[in-house]
Amino acid sequence: MSTKSWHLDRRAFLVGTAGVSLSLPLLECMGNEANQNSRPKRMCAVYFPYGAMTPRKDSPEKDWGWMPQGNGREYKLNKSLECLEPFREQLTFLKGLSHFNGRRMGGHDTADIWLTGAQFKGGTFRNSVSIDQIAAHHFGDATRFSSLTMSTDGGVGEATRSSTLAFGRSGTPIPAQNRPRLVFNRFFGVNSESAVRQRKELENSGSMLDSLLEHSKTVRRKLGKKDLQKFDEYLDSVRSVEKRVDRSQRWLDIPKPKVDSTDLHLDSDHNSPEEYIRTMYDLIFLAFQTDSTRVATYQIGNMNGATSIAGQFPQLLGFGKKIHALAHGWNKKGGGEALGKWDQYLAEQLARFLDRLKTTQEGDGNLLDHTMVLYGSSNSTTHNNNEYPLLLAGGNELGLKHGRLHNFSKDIPLTNLHVTMLNRLGVPTESFVDSTGELTELI
Amino acid sequence: MKIDLFTASSILLASVILPNPVCTAQQYETQIRPILAEHCFPCHGFDKQESDIRFDTLSTDFIKNRPAAETWHDALNSLDLGEMPPDQQPKLSLSDHKALTTWIRNQLNKARESKKKNTGSVVLRRLNRIEYQNTMVELLGIDADYSANLPPDTPSEDGFQNNGDTLSISPMAFDFYLEAARYGLSRAIVTGSAPKEFDEHITLSASAGKRKELITDHLGIGTHFIGKLNNFPDQGEFRIRVTAQANLVDGADYPRLRATFGYRADTQSPNKEIGILEITSEEPAIYEFYGRMEDYPIQSRNQSKFPGQLVTLTNLFHDGKPRKITQRIDTTVEKNGKVRKVKKTELIKHDDVPTITIQKVEFTSPLHESWPPDHHRNILFASSTKEVSETAYAREVIGKFMQRAFRRPVKDWETNSMLQLFTKLRNDSATFEDAIRETLALVLVSPDFLYLIETAHETSSGKTQLTEFELASRLSYFLWSTMPDQRLYDLAASGVLSRPDVLSKEVERMLNDPKIWQFVRQFSDQWLDLTSVNRVAVNPQYYDQWDTSIEPWMQEESRQFFAEILLKNLSALNFIDSEFAMLNAPMARHYGIENGPRGVSYERVALPADSNRGGLLGHASILLGNSTGEDSHPILRGVWIRETLLNDPPDPPPPNVPALESNNSNFNKVSVREQLKIHREDLSCAACHRRIDPWGIALENFDAIGQWRKDVKRLNRKEFVFVPVQAKTVLPSGDKITGVADLKKFLLQHRNEQFAKSMASKITSYAIGRSLEFEDQTNIDAITSYFIESDYRLPKLIERIVHDPLFQSK
Repeated sequence: MSTKSWHLDRRAFLVGTAGVSLSLPLLECMGNEANQNSRPKRMCAVYFPYGAMTPRKDSPEKDWGWMPQGNGREYKLNKSLECLEPFREQLTFLKGLSHFNGRRMGGHDTADIWLTGAQFKGGTFRNSVSIDQIAAHHFGDATRFSSLTMSTDGGVGEATRSSTLAFGRSGTPIPAQNRPRLVFNRFFGVNSESAVRQRKELENSGSMLDSLLEHSKTVRRKLGKKDLQKFDEYLDSVRSVEKRVDRSQRWLDIPKPKVDSTDLHLDSDHNSPEEYIRTMYDLIFLAFQTDSTRVATYQIGNMNGATSIAGQFPQLLGFGKKIHALAHGWNKKGGGEALGKWDQYLAEQLARFLDRLKTTQEGDGNLLDHTMVLYGSSNSTTHNNNEYPLLLAGGNELGLKHGRLHNFSKDIPLTNLHVTMLNRLGVPTESFVDSTGELTELI
Repeated sequence: MKIDLFTASSILLASVILPNPVCTAQQYETQIRPILAEHCFPCHGFDKQESDIRFDTLSTDFIKNRPAAETWHDALNSLDLGEMPPDQQPKLSLSDHKALTTWIRNQLNKARESKKKNTGSVVLRRLNRIEYQNTMVELLGIDADYSANLPPDTPSEDGFQNNGDTLSISPMAFDFYLEAARYGLSRAIVTGSAPKEFDEHITLSASAGKRKELITDHLGIGTHFIGKLNNFPDQGEFRIRVTAQANLVDGADYPRLRATFGYRADTQSPNKEIGILEITSEEPAIYEFYGRMEDYPIQSRNQSKFPGQLVTLTNLFHDGKPRKITQRIDTTVEKNGKVRKVKKTELIKHDDVPTITIQKVEFTSPLHESWPPDHHRNILFASSTKEVSETAYAREVIGKFMQRAFRRPVKDWETNSMLQLFTKLRNDSATFEDAIRETLALVLVSPDFLYLIETAHETSSGKTQLTEFELASRLSYFLWSTMPDQRLYDLAASGVLSRPDVLSKEVERMLNDPKIWQFVRQFSDQWLDLTSVNRVAVNPQYYDQWDTSIEPWMQEESRQFFAEILLKNLSALNFIDSEFAMLNAPMARHYGIENGPRGVSYERVALPADSNRGGLLGHASILLGNSTGEDSHPILRGVWIRETLLNDPPDPPPPNVPALESNNSNFNKVSVREQLKIHREDLSCAACHRRIDPWGIALENFDAIGQWRKDVKRLNRKEFVFVPVQAKTVLPSGDKITGVADLKKFLLQHRNEQFAKSMASKITSYAIGRSLEFEDQTNIDAITSYFIESDYRLPKLIERIVHDPLFQSK
């Protein structure tokens, strides 16, 4: 295993310090938050398919279980997650949680609702909004990009096998990026084709809304007193959309942060999984460090067994089988260990990411204490939509109490976690789908 | 009507200090107050304030104190209906009754006169979801779903979804409007050469996964035909043409061919229904289904284990009888010379089920008879200026489009300002079409498009007449829920639409146009609150034969009934009682009516003289919608009658009302009627409920799902007990009735005029898009009289409304 690729000199990434080169957009566009001089709040969700090793009580391969043994502060990490030990005080294990709606769905179908909790059945399979997009919408144009959506398979895939974790406000899937170079160009590069198109569309919208407001003034003059109130409601809507477009446009004129890409494997693809997965994490790290976005999702693999590009990752890396096959072997002899080793490999990639966040200073703390990282899956063992392997890391300064393993009863909906996360991000949320409140143990 | 108590009482204090105009005050003190003191104050005065109403301190200033005026108006209604004073109390003498009602009436009239000049105007009204959807389809010529993402519209207090006051807009909705406009125009205006047409012919059903025995070209119960398309476009209109032949069964319902479109994912098949067609003859025939690719779940091109789009055909025959689909049979197989016993799954043949045999499925997409398609040429029409100057041509295009979208002629300067935008966009757009699309998208988010803009000002002289074009729009959105057609537009342009004879002719034409079904659907759904059916979950423990698939048929029955009365010009009193019903096979079966229709199309069925199904009160939609899902709900049903038929909605329940249960341990053993009696004996409930419950009690012979019953089924300690139905009741006016037949007789004899006024008010309110206020009463009275004189014919009522100043002015 090569370790060279991810070891990047932190200083190489930024010209000047983040504080200086980024202060301009922050002050101009962040609104209240900038005025309070507070540090950005961020979230990131990383998903792996088919669950993780969840041994039976009497299993001889118990030590390969993903979920640590024990409870509260007294938990002990098993082999596969040992690498997370340094982050004990920055993370919480959430045992027993799953989406109520997911429990009634097909075993392969629940990646779609990991962040949405939707009842996702019947006919057209219409999803609902995912929490990352709620947060993205809330942050609006405080950053150049409202969110970064990535997956190994890219695009949206098929409903029930979606290759994205993000769903817009009307439940439409948001296409995931899967080519590191394109993401890099979009975030840090100049004039990539999509940036030109984006600029074009924004400019159009800007001009259109200008004309519209101009035109509306003449309409307004013709209206009676009673109509004005209704009409102003319309104008307010147009203005608020205009303001948003305007802000986005201003971002176009603000130079992008300069990021050195020499040590990034931007052309890595699914044939070199290790470089690829690390590069994806690196991109999230960079996007957060430069405050280009505050919301990111990465789906390491979807649950479309036959076609997922990510399916073959363990094979390419020498773990023998495809992810699906590894997951299926959990209760066969030796299967627990095989799966556990794959879990371990994935956890190491996470640990590197967490380490980068933790060792990067921001204000009087580090990036990790203002970044929540949700990591996990939507199966326990293959096709079982309960007791997801889940951990929440980071965000100590956002009001999260870490260092524990919580064993939740199955009556607690996973959406309670979503509500908890949104509130920690400063998105006031009373309820989300079938939530019944916050996970008070975490706060 | 709501009474704002806080305002009422605070102004009361003022009225004590500041006396009312002298003569009124004198008359009140000497003639009216003594009557009130004797008959009303005991319950609505210092000691008691039943229903929170108090007359001893109620302001008599009808002009300035509007809440007080509303309360007096309620009092007048109760007096007129004979509901007050209640039975137990001494009745008013004839002369007192007359003095009191005349006084209230005169005061109300004065108040009305004084307010005529400055209230009751229609508020700027946004197109609601349905109107927006219809208008986009008409304007762009592409039948796509434009309103899918729009938030639902809030209904007004009186249940209508086209009320300017309650329809609002938000930044989010604005985003969706812009998105829908860009989406629509990107399809309406095409670029490049004709896209490749995909044509596939399928004669054999594809096999798919498990339970192969269910996949066949011979469709009975539980089987399906799967047509697999290997090549298909991502967008554009498609046609699926099915050649099929049915085998009908004498006396059984017709089979129905249902087509869905989707694909197979790993373990599931996302798909969406394209349509259902009923097959009524055995001749082989072609059945066509249309849709747009982008409206259906489409197979991903590169991430699929099971590539190909699937057209799934099924036979929806459903007569309510339970049937098994397959059976396991013992059979033997011979393998390697050995004979083994195995179990095999086999389809069961049902001779009483009509079948459909699929011969061929043809798929074609995209469909366009010419290129560029009509919808493109409607916007980018042929013009000689096109060759001369692009800008001049753009001007023509934009002007013509704006005129259609704004439903009125546009001024030069309006076109110019859009043209400016076009020029600006054109500079850095690759093609003319790109710039035009964006410019026209702006037109589609303009207030002139999204709102029904009526520019009439409130002047000192009162209301002003709508312009011809505004009238055309009002008319069109009233009866068709969409933009005016060319003829209405032309009549407005020549300034004759408002001419009474022309207007009458147009109403007649509009009533005969198929688009009138928009009115039928919108109005009957909202007036009758047909969505209430979806809000009730039937408990299958009580109704073991229950099948939710009947719910849409129930709702459709009520719409069809409304349509029959409107379109066949029948008396609206049929809503109260009729000698016919509009039924299809499932509904006739539900009602136990034999030899009814065989199909799902609705037919007029004559009812026997002793039938209880006549009129709306026999409709399962209404009975179920106002039930608990286990039993009838006399209160909801009573409220429904007062609200819908009589336009006399009771006040909303006060806070902290206890539920129907009480400490009475026998409560669950007695009938609902007795439960309600207990309820009404509780003085705090009684005041309102004796004016609500009796109406609902009269319908007690209908159970929750609207079927006739003699006994009420009730669960008592895990066992069902049966209690005889008690539908005898005493109406608030003191009339004794014995059930639904009696109730209908009573309504026809004593409440026919109130019903007529209710009908007139509801349709007027829908027509003008606002709630009625009491200043409108004079107009409504006149409209009502005309309606009654016209023998309760709805077309006449509609025509009269359209001619009324309420409709023609703002």
